[in-house]
Formats: sequence, structure tokens, C-alpha cells
Amino acid sequence: MDPLLIAGILTVVLFVLLAAGLWVSLTLMLLGLLTMVMLDNNASGLIFATTTWGASSSWALTALPLFIWMGEILFRTRLSEDLFEGLTPWLSKFPGQLFHVNILSCGIFAAVSGSSAATAATIGRMTLPELKQRGYDTRMAIGTLAGSGTLGLLIPPSIILIVYGVAAEVSVARLFMAGAVPGLLLVVLFMGYTALWAKLSPKSVPQDTRHFTWADKFKAIRNLIPVLSLIIFVLGSIYTGLTTPSEAAAFGVAGALILSLISGTLSTKSFNESLMGAVKTSCMIALILAGAAFLTISMGFLGLPRMLAEMIATLQLSPYMLLVYLTFLFVILGCFLDGISVVVLTTSVVLPMVQQAGIDLLWFGIYIVLVVEMAQITPPVGFNLFVIQALSGKNILYIARAALPFFMLIMLAVVLITVFPSIVTALPDLMVN
Amino acid sequence: MRRFLDGLYAFSGALAGFFIVAITLVILVQIVSRWMGYIVPSTDDLSGFFLAASSFLGLAYTLKKGGHIRVSLVIQRLSRVQRHRQEFLVLAVGSGLATLMSWHLGYMVYESWVFKDVSVGYLPIPLWIPQSSMSLGMLIFNIALVDELIRVLRGAKPCYQDYEDELNLEEV
Repeated sequence: MDPLLIAGILTVVLFVLLAAGLWVSLTLMLLGLLTMVMLDNNASGLIFATTTWGASSSWALTALPLFIWMGEILFRTRLSEDLFEGLTPWLSKFPGQLFHVNILSCGIFAAVSGSSAATAATIGRMTLPELKQRGYDTRMAIGTLAGSGTLGLLIPPSIILIVYGVAAEVSVARLFMAGAVPGLLLVVLFMGYTALWAKLSPKSVPQDTRHFTWADKFKAIRNLIPVLSLIIFVLGSIYTGLTTPSEAAAFGVAGALILSLISGTLSTKSFNESLMGAVKTSCMIALILAGAAFLTISMGFLGLPRMLAEMIATLQLSPYMLLVYLTFLFVILGCFLDGISVVVLTTSVVLPMVQQAGIDLLWFGIYIVLVVEMAQITPPVGFNLFVIQALSGKNILYIARAALPFFMLIMLAVVLITVFPSIVTALPDLMVN
Repeated sequence: MRRFLDGLYAFSGALAGFFIVAITLVILVQIVSRWMGYIVPSTDDLSGFFLAASSFLGLAYTLKKGGHIRVSLVIQRLSRVQRHRQEFLVLAVGSGLATLMSWHLGYMVYESWVFKDVSVGYLPIPLWIPQSSMSLGMLIFNIALVDELIRVLRGAKPCYQDYEDELNLEEV
């Protein structure tokens, strides 16, 4: 059969199966199998088995369940309360005041958790009621939370960067280094916008009359020392090359357990809940990765990625134009699919095309995560929107509108890293040399 | 039978959790012994094997708890009758696919055993041992899918449907 015809059939089947509610992982496997059948490949069973074994027993992937577990443990501690109490005194004089607690708490939590929905949920359940009670503008409170919740995807350790690294065969440690500066850039953009907004609409921010002395400030931040040391230790050991991401993750789990013990939230029940929560998430992701690995191999047999790459070469498409098209494609895909599925589908088909256009795969990983972040806060399927809907009781369109400025800010960050790629590559280059 | 099956899913789920703990311990032991100047052989292989065991043994548990993600945009708009047919359809496709996969993974274990394949690391571990955990996990997943299919055939709602309305905070 003609490869283009097969590709057309596969695209239709993909959307039908997904819309019919077949699980993403099984959909990927079925597509891979279908490709093999249409190509008359009679070794498909053997290829499936060996690919699945190879993809599932990879040593680099062990960081995944461990970082998920670490986040699950910390999710069940007093961390969100500590963040709120510790940061409030420091921000009382800054325009926008407690809105920034939302942003900074999310940024810090993102550095111990790899998921954006978990970040938004953990921080939001603490800050949203507090902000409302003190008379802050609800819409801006929701907007700051929705936007900065997505930081969980970019600021390392990040689950989606591990998935990309394993699927695209890019070093996870380097991806973690590459994500740090763009993550901080987003925090700065969010805080800058919020401060500007607060200056322009002073009525929406209540006057905080409390006065905090320096003694208060340092007393408040004392509770944050354990978690900050955990972050510095885990990320620092990866950045300096002392440990691999998997080893840092094992330390992270140990550190999170100690932290939870100190704060008095560790019990047999919370331990088991955190572990089984980690089982659910990591099994789900592992099966998707196994399916994606098989689909990638099948696509290789079909030759579709190579054909797309050749097409790029003959069209003389500039990298910028390619990125514009891809951004549209990803934002549309992200309207229906979660971030991980978007990433694995991408790596199966478009990576050779991206390489052909001369785009660095390390840079591309950060770019795709930023685009997925935008997708997290666009309706109809944006996981952060669902989380905040559950927390605030507002409808999804209200939340999406509140998040719109932050969507634009992430878009700005995408433009910035495209114009100045060194925002992404400078840190990894520096660390490797 | 019901109690046996539910016990099976819970037990294999707990085993998956156990293997995550085991990965953590193996890696910690590796680092600490490296600091003390010892090299514990094959820890990389071992943690990879434990990962495969954990990922596959937890599949059935994850299915029952609604942990596997799918696109719910269309199906949540279906009427009760349509939804029932849709769940039947995806479970039938899923069961068929899982049967095929269980067969091929099982066959791979058999071949590794016959050809005495061993891991390439320092310690030559016979590959059929770690591979059988994967194959077993897939088989239990397969049983769980067929189990759900039979539930739906009898007119009941599949177990995972109750959990899917709940928020899964860890979905990325």
C-alpha cells in the first residue's frame, strides 16, 4: 500500500479511537499494530514484545516513578500552608501583594513536583480561600493560579521533560538544566504583569495594613528552610553532575519522607496513599511510553517521519515558519489531548522533520513544554482548568478568560526563547563545560 | 471468584508499589556504597527490571481505579444507553488487544528461557525472570479488561467510570 494512503488511514483511525474513549496507551499500540499489518510485516508481535521490554526496563526512566512519588509525599504534608505563611510577610509591600504568593508558591512547589495539575491543586486549595477572604479580585486570583500552576511542567524536576527525554533520546539531566531559566523567566513575566495590573487597578487589591518587621519576616520563612534545602540538594546534585536524575530522585524521595516525618504528617496511611498514587500515575505513563515506542518503530517502517523530513528539505521551509505551523498544531492537539500524549505523538512522527530543519532537540523539548503549558489553560481540555474549576466552583469559560493574560505571557515566552535560544541552551552548555 | 479477582488486582497493585520502594532502595544503596568506595554490581540493570515489574504489575490496579487516561470530551456527552454501548466497544477492543499483547509478551519470555538469554551487565541475570513480571502484569491487565467487559455485558457500569469523574491530581 502507498505510505501516504496508510498515513491518511492512520490519522482518521487515531481520531476515531481517541474520540471513542479508547485509552491513549492502547490507541497508540493499536495504531502501531495496524501500521505493521498494512505493511504486511509478519514479525510485528516479536517487534512489539522486544520494543515494549526495551522501553519499559530502561534505567533512565526510573526517575519517573520516583519523582512522582516525591511529589505525592509532599502533596500530603503541610507544605502549602508553610509556603503561604512564609511568603506573605515578604510580599506585603510589593504591588499586587498576595497574588504573588500564588505565583511564587507555585514556582517553589513546581521545583519539588513534576506535574502542573498537582501544583495548581496543592497551592490553590490554600491560597484561593485566603485571597477571597481578604477581598482580593477573584478573577485575578484564579488567573494567577492557572498561569503559574503550569510552571510544574517546566521547572525541573518535570515529569513531561523526563517523558520527552526518554522518547526523543535527549539527556534528561540536560533538559532539567535547560528548563530552569525559561521557568524563572515565566515567573518574572507573571510577577511583572501582576504588579503592573495591580498598579493600574488599585481597587482590586485590598490595602494590607499589617506591618511586618524583619524579625517577623525571618521567623516566617524559617519553616521553608527544609523544602528549600531539599530543592537545592536535588537540583544542585543534578546540575553539578554529582548524581544522575534517577539518583537525585531517590534522594528526593528520602528527603520528602524525612520532611513529612518532621512535619508530623507521615503515617502508614499517608505513606501507602502516596505510594499507590505514584503507582497509578507511573503505570499510566509507562504504558503510554510503551505504546509510543512501538508506534515510533512502526512509523520508522512506514517511513513517514523521513518523508516529512524530506518534504521540509524540498520546501525550503525556514525553521521559524515550521515552528509557527507546529505551534498551531500543538495548541489544537492540546485542546483535546493531555500534554504527555501530545509529546509522545510528536516524537513518533515529527522529530526527524524538526532535526532536518536544523532545530536543536534540547531546545525543542523546552519549546514543546511551553506550548503544552499554554494548552493546559485552553478549553475544552485543559487539566489546570478542571482542577481550578473543582477548587473554585467557577465555570470553565470564566477560568479560561481569567487565565487568558497568562496564556499570552507564555506565548511571549515562546517568542522570546525562539528569538534568543540561549535562554534555553546557556545553562546546559555552561554546566557541561 | 469476585473476591479472588479483586484480591488479585489489589495484590499486584501492592507489588507494583513494593517495586517502586525497591527501586528507591537499590539506587540509594548504590550511591552510598559508591561513596564508601564499593561498587555494587548490576544496580542499573536491577532498577530497570524493577521499573518494568512495577509498571506492568500495576496496570490492572490502575485500570480499575480509572488511572489510565483517555479523551472524555465526546463520551461524556453520550446518553446512558449510548455510553453503555461505547464502553462495551472500547472494552472489547481493549480486551482483544491485551490478549494479543499478553500472548506476544509471554512468547518472548518463553524464547528468552529457551535460548537462555542473559542481561548484558556485570551479573548475567537470565532475562526470563524479569521479563516474566512484565508478562504476568500484562496478563492480569488482560483479565481485568475482560472482567470489566463481562460487567458491562451484564448491564452494569465499569468500575473505572466511578473514579474518572473524580479529579486525578497527578495527571500532567
